[in-house]
Amino acid sequence: MLSVPLTTAAQNPIISGQFTADPTARVFNNKVYLYPSHDILPPEGTRQDWFSMEDYHVFSSEDLVNWQDHGVIVTQNKVPWVRPNSYSMWAPDCVYRNGKYYFYFPSAPAKGGGFGVGVAIADNPEGPFIPEPEPIKGINGIDPCVLQASDGNAYIFWGAGRCAKLKENMKELADDNPKEIVKWGNREMEMVGVNCLKGLPNRQAEGPFAFEYNGNYYLTYPYVRENTEVLAYAMSKNPMGPYEYKGIIMAEHANGCWTNHHSIVNYKGQWYLFYHHNAYSPKDDKRRSAQIEKLYFNEDGTIQEVKPTLRGVGINQANSRIDVDRYSSASEGVELAYLDTANTFRGWEVKLPKKGSYITYNDVDFTGANARTYVTANVKADKNTSIVIRENNKNGKVIARLNLKVEPEGGNNGGMMMRRRSYVGQWHAVTTTISHVPKGVTNLYIACEGEHPASIDWMQFKTPPTYFTSATAAPAKPDAGGFIRRWTILEPIDKPNRSNTVFTDSYLREHFNMEYFPNQFTIVPEDGQRVKVGKQRLTWHKLDSERFNVKLFRFADGLQKQIYGVLFWNVTVINCPEEIKDVRLAVGSNSASMWWLNGEEVLLLSGDRRMVKDDAVSPRITLKKGINILRGAVINGPGMSDFCVRFINENEKPVTEFEIK
Amino acid sequence: MNKITSTLALLGISLTTNLFAQVGQPFIHDPSTIVECDGKYYTFGTGGGGLISEDGWTWKGGAERPGGGAAPDAMKIGDRYLVIYGATGGGLGGGHNGRILTMWNKTLDPKSPDFKYTQAIEVAASDGLEDNDAIDPGLLLDPTTGRLWVCYGTYFGTIRLIELDPATAERVKGNKELDIAIDCEATDLIYRNGWYYLLGTHGTCCDGVNSTYNIVVGRSRTVQGPYIDNVGRDMYHGGGRMVIAAGDSVTGPGHFGRYVIDEGIEIMSCHYEADYRQSGRSVLGIRPLLWKNDWPVAGDRFKGGTFEIESERRGYALELAVDFARQNVQRVGGFFGRGNNDTPVKPIATQKLADVIDTWPKGDIPVRIGDYMFRPHQRWTITPVAEAGGYLGGPYFKIVIEGTNRALAATADLELTTAAEFSGADEQLWRIEQATDGTFRIMPKAIPGQEGLNTKYVLYSIADSTPTLAEWDFNTDNSKWNFRAH
Repeated sequence: MLSVPLTTAAQNPIISGQFTADPTARVFNNKVYLYPSHDILPPEGTRQDWFSMEDYHVFSSEDLVNWQDHGVIVTQNKVPWVRPNSYSMWAPDCVYRNGKYYFYFPSAPAKGGGFGVGVAIADNPEGPFIPEPEPIKGINGIDPCVLQASDGNAYIFWGAGRCAKLKENMKELADDNPKEIVKWGNREMEMVGVNCLKGLPNRQAEGPFAFEYNGNYYLTYPYVRENTEVLAYAMSKNPMGPYEYKGIIMAEHANGCWTNHHSIVNYKGQWYLFYHHNAYSPKDDKRRSAQIEKLYFNEDGTIQEVKPTLRGVGINQANSRIDVDRYSSASEGVELAYLDTANTFRGWEVKLPKKGSYITYNDVDFTGANARTYVTANVKADKNTSIVIRENNKNGKVIARLNLKVEPEGGNNGGMMMRRRSYVGQWHAVTTTISHVPKGVTNLYIACEGEHPASIDWMQFKTPPTYFTSATAAPAKPDAGGFIRRWTILEPIDKPNRSNTVFTDSYLREHFNMEYFPNQFTIVPEDGQRVKVGKQRLTWHKLDSERFNVKLFRFADGLQKQIYGVLFWNVTVINCPEEIKDVRLAVGSNSASMWWLNGEEVLLLSGDRRMVKDDAVSPRITLKKGINILRGAVINGPGMSDFCVRFINENEKPVTEFEIK
Repeated sequence: MNKITSTLALLGISLTTNLFAQVGQPFIHDPSTIVECDGKYYTFGTGGGGLISEDGWTWKGGAERPGGGAAPDAMKIGDRYLVIYGATGGGLGGGHNGRILTMWNKTLDPKSPDFKYTQAIEVAASDGLEDNDAIDPGLLLDPTTGRLWVCYGTYFGTIRLIELDPATAERVKGNKELDIAIDCEATDLIYRNGWYYLLGTHGTCCDGVNSTYNIVVGRSRTVQGPYIDNVGRDMYHGGGRMVIAAGDSVTGPGHFGRYVIDEGIEIMSCHYEADYRQSGRSVLGIRPLLWKNDWPVAGDRFKGGTFEIESERRGYALELAVDFARQNVQRVGGFFGRGNNDTPVKPIATQKLADVIDTWPKGDIPVRIGDYMFRPHQRWTITPVAEAGGYLGGPYFKIVIEGTNRALAATADLELTTAAEFSGADEQLWRIEQATDGTFRIMPKAIPGQEGLNTKYVLYSIADSTPTLAEWDFNTDNSKWNFRAH
């Protein structure tokens, strides 16, 4: 079965790339499983302005943020009783009982009219589900929901609030259900069960979702209060009622989306309302997408009204992209627009129209951020402007200021290159270091601080890897591959070279052997020791590299030193318990390098080099018992300088029987 | 028979034209994998634009790709063409905040009314500070899973792998970048025979004839790597086995692309940083792609020469069906070499064309296959014919008996003969391609009486001694030939 991880960054709608209506959420095995109906664009030859649903997917999540699509579980072509081209696989439910998962779904039967409700049974919540050959006898309607009550019985609700008891096999209605004669026009029909919404506000009621909490039964349902659906609820002490109407859970969708349909679930102690909206299909409210909000009860058991948000639930990791257009709140005039109206699944942009306009974005986790963390934001503006990101509110500490320099700079007179190209009206990423590191989970306040409007697509707070740590007092060992990771490295000596092509053997011999500082070939530097090279005052740093390759580029960059056109001196002290004969020094370096063991030159890597493991090796040499000094100089033009060094034996295996002081 | 072609051929026969690289104006850097669209071939390069070829041999500018940027790739998925490219940061001195973008087109022909790129979509980016430069993308549609992968990056940090949705060319939601290599750029991914291959360009570009670019490869059983070279070294540690380096008057091959023409007939595309025959310009290169123990190796361009045409089936040689002419050379040394060994040895003459040609019929002479004895009726001179155009990666050749104009020709009944004089007619022109195992496929440009170019019938050993024309089948040695200069 196809299983594709979906990251939706904890926002509404929760799933992108496909439509997900009528979301029924259930908790199985400490995970939330979502069984929505699957709106699609109606195929040619079918009614274009109506619902169209041919199959069901199931999704799961452990954090309500990352949803995994487990693929199709039931499809209209593979259910014996369903008319295969009916595209009427409407709102489903799924429950666990007696070791099996029972998936209930309505559809148009191949024989007869109206809707039936079928069951498909699986051993796992992801399926595979095997559909029963016939729909449940006695149910003519849509939108099944199964309540497993504390009285030990399972009850099925459907349609406009009808409820009947299920047999223990979960596939048939119980024999002792009440029956009533219902008049439809001049027809009389015998219907099983009871209409739990009789006499309650119930105009065009559908989508019943029943659950039990704190000794109360809740029957929640969409109905048309005025022109479109609201989510309402009623309470009872008995599963089959009578129910007392209590009010609204969610009001009509502000944009006129006609339907709403929902489920309510408790996950890890928090209640959530799953519902739908047509966020990805603004011109067609028959293509809907699931959303989530937190739901709260009052002490008397009544439910607090829930407002739909863009932000949804869940915590964003600061180091992943955050679509701040799904904001928690916004000042007046803030505008939302689709990035691509032809493909709404690409999401939105938010425009801060004037100086002082802001959005807030709650629950961003900065764990792991540090002083080197930087922010990258995808932004757009027509004129130079700026955006400020603060913690919590407009008086909060400034996390970063993003300068949007979109207007070209420098001019192109006389054939001179422009110093910076124009980004006017174009999406581009702006990167800057952060000035304040929030702790843990916090809220962002993002405001336009410049004189001109700014649009934001996303932002991300990245923390660069740690390349080095300070060497400890304890001796180090070579790593499993034999690579020596402990080095005392001198800050880079300026050696301006525009390219690597100058690194001929004769250039290197001349420039590696000239004296830059006293005792260059004998010094065993201490951490923090300083030397003077020309006008440069440089410090030795004794470091352990986190990687097998010692990234000199990141060493220099981290110290905010020159990164290109430089020369690095590197020293390490090797302590051998015994003499080791016939080993070779194996080196890869970017760019050229020269290496000395105990004062003797043993290896030169000349020319335009890249750091390739075991690129070149020395002749056979001997590591003497006790202290050996290994010294290397690496010269660099325009590349990312690094090196890797190890000793290998006659069998080309790494030598590791020594300590590094 | 085409009189005009024939006349031109006769006049032009001794003229040397440039038949060494792709002809036309094949000037490009970082060519995308060659894609065929409505009978024409396309490749896109760095900086926007690209080359078009009607026949795969003569290339000129004219392909259109908006967005500029670096090192695109292209492929056909379903009935659409996917183009991916990298937009550079463009900061002072060239920033490393790159972006990878994808876009679709229904056709690659800028003259088609359907030619319209969709809005480019960003699928990956680098922020300028991290160890990655999001340019130089390469595409792989995994034939085993249908999943669409992209490798990208340069020497500035790592080569990364991401996954796209093949239906939309958008990034798969939740897909995280995976570092798979260092120390290369202009990479490409391919799949063959249970292996995934990462082709990386090593060395330095953009320095004319001094550019040190070369293409190296590592392979893996999974697309996520690790990509290991022939000595067990991970490309994430700088490993890589050579696929193609400088040689043949071109330096700096880079930006690999693979194109499968038929089973067992593959080519690789690249650019050469400098072609010594073309002012040292950066040009499109197309070479046979050979596979040795499941490692890709660039074959040499077939340039022609004088050869035995040896059948892979038996090892016999293609020859004129003429009388075997004994050489009147007295046998020295007596029975079983037990003669007088004190007599000094000396070279003796081989059989010459002049010794035998008068014994041959004057008109058409059929061909057969026989044991090779380097006799004149077995020695073929193969020469590219400039006026005849070409096919993907090569020019058409004439195949004549050495020292004559007696030319190998296809017949209407799918057999072979030789015409006393080469006429330049299509049935006397031969498409010669090196197969992935190093043997050659030899096929006539056209079959008399059949419409259009022949892409079906090849020179074929139907028996040890009998050649014919039959359909190409890589899985039989009957289809395969070797050119041996000996």
